[in-house]
Amino acid sequence: MTTVLQYTLSGLAIGGVYALVALGFHIMWSTAKAVNFAHGDTLMIGAVLAVLGVDAGMPVWLACSLSILAGAVFGVALERIAVRPFTAEANSIGWMLATIAIGIMAESLATMQFGGFSRALPSPGVDRPISVFGAGVYPQELLIPAVAVLLTLGLGLAQKRTLVGRAMRAVAHDKRAAALMGINVNRIVALSFGIAAVLGAGAGVLVAPVIQASATMGVLIGLKGFAVAIIGGITSAPGVLVAGLAFGVLEKFVEGYISTAAREIVAFGVMIAVLLAFPQGLFGKRETVKV
Amino acid sequence: MSRLHLLGFIALAGLLVAVPLTAENEYELRLFMLFLIYGLIAVGLNVLVGLTGLVSLGQAGLFALGSYTGAILAVRLGADLITASIGAAVVAGVAGVALAYPTVRVRGVYLAVVTIAFGIIVENVAIEWSSLTGGTTGLSGVPMPNVLGYELSGYGFYGVLAVTLLLATLAAHNLKVSAYGRAMLAVSQSEIAARSLGINATGMRILAFVAAAVTAGVAGVFYSFLNQYISPDIFTFSDSVRFLLMVILGGAATTFGPVLGAFTLTYLPEYLQEFQLWQKFAYGALLLIVMFVLPRGVLGTAGFVLKRLRPPARGLSEAEIASAQADLAPAARGATAELVTDGLTVRFGGLTALSAANVRVKGGEVHALIGPNGAGKSTFVNAISGVYRPTSGSFGIDGEDLTGKRQHEIAKLGLARTFQNTELFGDLTVIENVMVGGQIGLSYGLADALLRTPRQRREERALRAAAVGLLAFVGLTEHANEAARYLPFGLQRRLEIARALAARPRLLLLDEPAAGLTTQEIDDLAAMIRKIAASGVSVLLIEHHVDLIMAVADTVTVLDYGQVIASDRPGVVQNDPRVIEAYFGTPVAHGEFAEAAS
Repeated sequence: MTTVLQYTLSGLAIGGVYALVALGFHIMWSTAKAVNFAHGDTLMIGAVLAVLGVDAGMPVWLACSLSILAGAVFGVALERIAVRPFTAEANSIGWMLATIAIGIMAESLATMQFGGFSRALPSPGVDRPISVFGAGVYPQELLIPAVAVLLTLGLGLAQKRTLVGRAMRAVAHDKRAAALMGINVNRIVALSFGIAAVLGAGAGVLVAPVIQASATMGVLIGLKGFAVAIIGGITSAPGVLVAGLAFGVLEKFVEGYISTAAREIVAFGVMIAVLLAFPQGLFGKRETVKV
Repeated sequence: MSRLHLLGFIALAGLLVAVPLTAENEYELRLFMLFLIYGLIAVGLNVLVGLTGLVSLGQAGLFALGSYTGAILAVRLGADLITASIGAAVVAGVAGVALAYPTVRVRGVYLAVVTIAFGIIVENVAIEWSSLTGGTTGLSGVPMPNVLGYELSGYGFYGVLAVTLLLATLAAHNLKVSAYGRAMLAVSQSEIAARSLGINATGMRILAFVAAAVTAGVAGVFYSFLNQYISPDIFTFSDSVRFLLMVILGGAATTFGPVLGAFTLTYLPEYLQEFQLWQKFAYGALLLIVMFVLPRGVLGTAGFVLKRLRPPARGLSEAEIASAQADLAPAARGATAELVTDGLTVRFGGLTALSAANVRVKGGEVHALIGPNGAGKSTFVNAISGVYRPTSGSFGIDGEDLTGKRQHEIAKLGLARTFQNTELFGDLTVIENVMVGGQIGLSYGLADALLRTPRQRREERALRAAAVGLLAFVGLTEHANEAARYLPFGLQRRLEIARALAARPRLLLLDEPAAGLTTQEIDDLAAMIRKIAASGVSVLLIEHHVDLIMAVADTVTVLDYGQVIASDRPGVVQNDPRVIEAYFGTPVAHGEFAEAAS
């Protein structure tokens, strides 16, 4: 019983990270109908820069804030360089390859700066494990899913209540009509990439104390985040949150009872199965075509 | 084959002969053999990426599947190169079909992620299933390449690789210039139009995926025999990116682009080795530069520049036009073409767009379907052409029931259509668009296409002649070699009619053909429609333009709120009080003019 609880709690922690990454994919997809395929590297940038900042003698809070800021800059710059030039053409997947290219470059730069090894970010959240009905978890691990839930709710609220949020929804619905209503579409898209990057880099900072930060940590988490976005339905923020948490828990159980390799097989197998059964994801909206 | 392509094949063959003769050491030859293997993967992937426009980022998974199948067959069962290749081709081919299946529902980035997931799954199955694959330590002891018990020398194996690459390139080229290649391009540019012309879009995508999978699988076997050792870390996501980059760098949809791309990306890392840590960075930078500077790839750009410098004739030669005849009569399948719908109903959720519509289009007549906006005209068209599935009721042509059939099956049974918002294959030339329309009547198979047999050439010549005849009929011979997307709007509408007629339908469905045309163009259209009907093709005309309807229609059916409210000769319908009410409202209501016929 304790094992089950243990797996569930640490599954929720990693699931919270997937949810945050997937939430970023949701935000980018809504406004741009394109995503940053190097989004996993945004997370890596957040984690790695935070560790380097602490190395340089900064207090943890400052190092974390600066690395999240750097992640946001990365996200906005990447949208301008690698996404916007390709989204003008319908059905172009140029942005996919261009962002993958930037991801490769970011990863190799990070390898040069950080070295090929992995290190954990020191944080008060992992000083001492606490016991929850016999299962030992770090406070940090409980913090991650809580942040994911709060941010999803906050995002939903902001999209309904604020002017910028409504503009984002308008752009998501119809770019041209939004532009005609005086909304600066490019700025909204850039903003959404920035918000997504803050969520991504934030997830990196949150998870760096729990798992090791390394230059190569981003690729797999990024892909899984996208898998989660697809499973939950990329058009639905709550769907993405639920899918992310469930995905993390599922992974932890497969990893615990079988193996790490089996974890990847099951994780991506589930994604393909869901996509075949529900092309719009579990909670997504169907987009219809008219001729 | 064009002269340039012939030269290309001779140059490639020459290179393949010259390299082993001049290679200074074994390492050089080995590296070149690695290029041949990558080239094979890229040539196959090009069928998928270049022709159907689908992106696979899971080629490393298919490559691994082939490698492991070949290595396991060779190590555990002592299979020779041929048996191992056949086994790997089958396994990879089946995986290709499985990968193609999701394309029924998802495309673009979703599909790319499915292929990525597939690659990761294969990699981890190789790690997990260690009793069969050796797990992370890999599988060693693959024997020297041998065929039917004879061990191949280094040069013998080289010969196998070189000949395979040359033949694969030739087969891919033949496929591209055949009906299959055109169909794949058509599907990638407008799936709905391709289906309406009888092309099985799903079938084409499966074919392309299988082509990409089988070549990757066979390349995998060659790799196993060349390396004699394989492990999971050889087949990662970044390898999949590299294979895709080979195709894009060289030029997607070009014949030699993938070979050039594979060559560049096999040798480039050798030169970048001195940069060590920067190697991977440079690799990403190269991908980015290609996306910005050469999105068509090296050979794609070269071809584009060549076309700019020496543009081909826009139109056709007089001789070709003179020798062709427009043949509009439906392919011999019964003299009349009568469409009958019986209680045809289409509901979307709670909305009944079409309610128990009974329409009868008599053989050889021009039947107009009119009604205010939202009356259900488009729904009717989409239901009888198979885009929507009717909720209840049935329809058929000449007594043949078509209810529940899919779009391309209905097209094959003699219904062709045009679209309200033209759906041309924009990047194909005008004549190619019409040829795609006529492909329904071809009978040569995949083997004929790959080998370019005399039968294939004969049928292609006939197809082209028929297309020329139709272009002459609609007056587009002067634009035959232009890309369809650059035609002015009025001519695009005519091209759609020619393309639909190329299928030699029994019933032609024109969905608002006069929208956006000038008065002169509408008069031409009326004459054209009359000629088509005179040749025995029934025409169902959906139109707002009253003058056109009065000029050509034999019968007019009026729809309102999804129901047939009148169906008779034009003069009678014009004075039917219910029709007047539908368009103008009741006299008592003093209503404004609602959506009048414009």
